[in-house]
Amino acid sequence: MTLLDIRNLSAGYGKVRALFDCTLGIGENEFVVLLGANGAGKTTLLRALSGTIRSSGEIAYGGSDLQKMAPERRLQCGIAQIPQGRGTFTEFTVDENLTLGATIVSDSRRVRRDKERWYDRFPRLRERRSQLAGNLSGGEQQMLAVARALMSRPKLLLCDEPSLGLAPVITREIFAIFKELRDTDGMTLLVVEQNADLSLKFADRAYVIEAGHIVSEGSASAILADEHIQKSYLGD
Amino acid sequence: MRNSVVRTAATIVGFLLVAALLPVCLSGFQLQQVSIAISYAIAILGLNLLMGFAGQICLAQGTLFGIGAYVTAILNATYGVHPLATLPAAAAVTALAGLVVGLPALRLQGLQLAIITFGVAAAFPQLLLKLGTWTGGVSGLPIDSLEPPAFLADYSELWLYLVSLGCACVAAMIVRLVLFGDVGRALRAQRDSSQIAEALGVNLTKTKLWAFAISSALAGLAGGVFAILNGFISPQSFLAPLSITIVIGSIVGGSTSIVGAFVGGLFITFVPTWTSNINLALGNVIYALALIGIMLLARGGVAGLVDRLTAALTTRSNPNGKAGQSAN
Repeated sequence: MTLLDIRNLSAGYGKVRALFDCTLGIGENEFVVLLGANGAGKTTLLRALSGTIRSSGEIAYGGSDLQKMAPERRLQCGIAQIPQGRGTFTEFTVDENLTLGATIVSDSRRVRRDKERWYDRFPRLRERRSQLAGNLSGGEQQMLAVARALMSRPKLLLCDEPSLGLAPVITREIFAIFKELRDTDGMTLLVVEQNADLSLKFADRAYVIEAGHIVSEGSASAILADEHIQKSYLGD
Repeated sequence: MRNSVVRTAATIVGFLLVAALLPVCLSGFQLQQVSIAISYAIAILGLNLLMGFAGQICLAQGTLFGIGAYVTAILNATYGVHPLATLPAAAAVTALAGLVVGLPALRLQGLQLAIITFGVAAAFPQLLLKLGTWTGGVSGLPIDSLEPPAFLADYSELWLYLVSLGCACVAAMIVRLVLFGDVGRALRAQRDSSQIAEALGVNLTKTKLWAFAISSALAGLAGGVFAILNGFISPQSFLAPLSITIVIGSIVGGSTSIVGAFVGGLFITFVPTWTSNINLALGNVIYALALIGIMLLARGGVAGLVDRLTAALTTRSNPNGKAGQSAN
């Protein structure tokens, strides 16, 4: 079943358009990666989905029209975003960052329970819960960003270039976490990446975006074998 | 965690000690000046919330202070309401005015917002003159002097001091509660990155307007207290530079500090007088040098400097301890 159905999505900044009639769909409990080079329009697409920029075209999410919803409302419907560069608030403690992720949750007992749950999953965050997020390593900050997004109990997790600035071994760890969220927590994921090699090993399906246009799609293994992709993203 | 509780307790005890010692050490006139400094400190507390924690600029805090003062004066002089009973109204009316001043902040930031709010500050004194029927125009308005309770009958300055200190403590508690609640977290988050805060579900419009409303309510309360302390107000007390002076108080004291607001209030009340006492002709120059010196020495204001010094001392005496990292 399709959870997110995007048709003819266009968006841009002022007069500059960055996305042109993109059409893509993500099934429930699917792990999809959107591959693209710098400036291909990956972040723009994610921002259009989270509602932090204006866009035209249809975005259906579980039957409801996302275009009519404010960012806050989309979050309440279960769409959470992990921004590029992690976006952890460095002047906030780890714990406060998690609380911030639960801004839309009014039940404080639920917030406490969820924190414990994610601290259990990411013990390194528990150790550092009262430290400033700015003192964490890049990998720990990315984990914090993931845990923070999970605090709103999303169904669909959008993640913008998790590999940015991380060592390959850490990136692998983050992707393993994503896969685990898909397998054991029933989460649906849309991850935007430049790192084709690694992300395709974990994802189910992939789309490729170039200069604002979706140029190809298919199962992760098919895309990985694609000659054009090999040339553009794997440097062969 | 324990570290920050200890520090908060130490700060409160220190504050109360100083507050209790002042009436003993100072003359009646000096105590009156300290009370006025405290009224400014309440307005600075509001500005610290808005500027230091929410990252918005407002160069109309003096105007909002003036609105509070006039609400108190009009309710007392025209309608005979007891001066203290006017204070909630002063805060409420000024909060509404602050929401109007804050509306442009939904679209504009930084310098543009500074100019727009300063425009409000520049227009205010003349508006007061134009609305002479209510405000008494140039001649201003008198406020009934506050009768001290029987046990303080001979110490009216002390009574006024206690009243302003009481209001300031209420204001400080409000700021503290706001800062460590959901609104405060949202305020700091949108200051650090409005885009990410929005993606996490922070309602930017509501958050910014809250900041303006609370900050203005405190400015209004401060103005009301100021009117009561002075017993008389006129447009002369609320000229445009007052707003700048309040910003200076906020920055010198430390704009992310509650105690810093009191330091700032005392600074803008006393230091200009002291520097003129040193040399009447060079008073402003010495004052300016003092400002420049403080900014060179302590970018985070006096409170920031104290924080840095205590952090340096505690890490030295306790080399394995983690440095304190709470917003105080």
